[in-house]
Amino acid sequence: MNIHQPGTEPALLSLTEVAKAIAQKRLSSREVTQSCLDRIKAWQPRLNAFMAIEAEEALAAADAADARLSKGGVGALHGVPLAHKDMYYDEGRVVTCGSKIRRDFVATSTSTALQRLKDAGPVRLGSLQMAEFAYGPTGHNSHYGPVHNPHAPDHITGGSSSGSGSAVAARLTFAALGSDTGGSVRMPAHFCGVTGLKTTWGRVSRAGAMPLSQSLDTVGPLARTAEDCALLLGLMAGADPEDPTAIAGPIPDYAAATREPIRGLRIGVPASFYVDDLDAEVAKILDETIAVLTREGATIVKVDLPDQRQLSAACQLVLAVEAAAFHKRWLIERSDDYGAQVLMRLQNGLAIPGVTYLEAMRWRGPALAAHNAATADVDAVLAPVAPVAAPTIAESDVGNSPGAEAVIQRLTRFTRPINYLGLPSLAIPSGFTGKGLPVGMQLIGHSFAEAMLLRIGAAFQRATDFHDKVPKLA
Amino acid sequence: MTKPTPKEIRATAELAGVPVDAEVAARIARSIGPAFEGFAAVAGTLPFDLEPATFLLVQAEQAVK
Repeated sequence: MNIHQPGTEPALLSLTEVAKAIAQKRLSSREVTQSCLDRIKAWQPRLNAFMAIEAEEALAAADAADARLSKGGVGALHGVPLAHKDMYYDEGRVVTCGSKIRRDFVATSTSTALQRLKDAGPVRLGSLQMAEFAYGPTGHNSHYGPVHNPHAPDHITGGSSSGSGSAVAARLTFAALGSDTGGSVRMPAHFCGVTGLKTTWGRVSRAGAMPLSQSLDTVGPLARTAEDCALLLGLMAGADPEDPTAIAGPIPDYAAATREPIRGLRIGVPASFYVDDLDAEVAKILDETIAVLTREGATIVKVDLPDQRQLSAACQLVLAVEAAAFHKRWLIERSDDYGAQVLMRLQNGLAIPGVTYLEAMRWRGPALAAHNAATADVDAVLAPVAPVAAPTIAESDVGNSPGAEAVIQRLTRFTRPINYLGLPSLAIPSGFTGKGLPVGMQLIGHSFAEAMLLRIGAAFQRATDFHDKVPKLA
Repeated sequence: MTKPTPKEIRATAELAGVPVDAEVAARIARSIGPAFEGFAAVAGTLPFDLEPATFLLVQAEQAVK
């Protein structure tokens, strides 16, 4: 843990550490906000991670937060500068959704997840880049340019939460909201070397978050540590009258879970699919991750999961139809305003008959039951997030070429099945390739068992320092 | 279940109110074809008394635990 010492850069602290430092008046919100803004000024030309930077507003808000602190009764994120994926509606502000179509869209309400974070008192730094309408796994955006990986700027960040992954990795914001419909939190976490939590479908309200696929969309944080993700999830989780799919019931103490040891837990490693056709360095890092978890006291067992290719196909059918339905009016009226790849993928939904879509939806229950039966004996499943580390921006810039869908499907093949099943999954930095590219592993949990994933992730991070590696500005 | 042909896709898109030309239909067929193939073993096999909300019931069992 980085305990703040005078002279060290406040932006390098974790969310949990900086929130505590501000609350205890060891750092002012202005000092911390200025530290982030200094880094944003230096890194933004290289990364293109921010959609909008609101420096003056942020400093004014930081001063107000510092003034309020003496009055007491402040929230868990008081004075902490944050920025989020530009798809969370924030009343009165432009929310582009990474698109040309919504370049000037001003939100008339605030998303529930964002409001719950705002209620805890953070400072807004601006908004973060993303794939157009969150429909792309690489970080390319034909309207606003690609977002670059802080560890290797010629390489992709992953998407669709591209700005979130890049900005958190470069220490420009302490955490950021992303969204995960087919892997969009976990892919940037994996490629950029940060921690990302895909929540259970139903754990966090989606009200006021730009929709892509109502059956698959989930809200989740990217941050530096599992402990940070626990703090944010604890603030956001729970029922919401604006989103009837957000379940009621008690919210676990996620922060407490991160302090528990993992001795005696059982972690499954798939016998196939997730271990097939891995890049050699990813395979090695999987083995090393298993070794760390074993040293920490977990028991590793092989698990035979149901056919993941069928789950992945079902996910693709559901996503394609629901996305096309959301976008139908613009497909008719403004098709020229989409980027070529996003238009191509939206048009895919036009080919799927209603009966096929509903079969894919009807199968979700039995598919989840089969998964639950296969994993009943373990506390979580460990698997790579993707079979490869970040490809270059050039080699993954496939646009709407004939092979584009195949490239997309290969990158996301380990994430889509989890979205179809609605399960939680925590992506954790787990190593680096010989070229210095981050590699993440995902811990896949039982429905609503985020606390278990955060517990395992935090234990792993106490035993390793991959999450502490700060990229250098060349 | 067979994957749709470009000709069928043109008809389906037309019915959906978003017509596409032959080139786009051929591209859609290539893109979405693997999803149809991947789901083929499941399609047409589901029991009668099964609706999408079953997913919520299965999920809720885990929430209770």
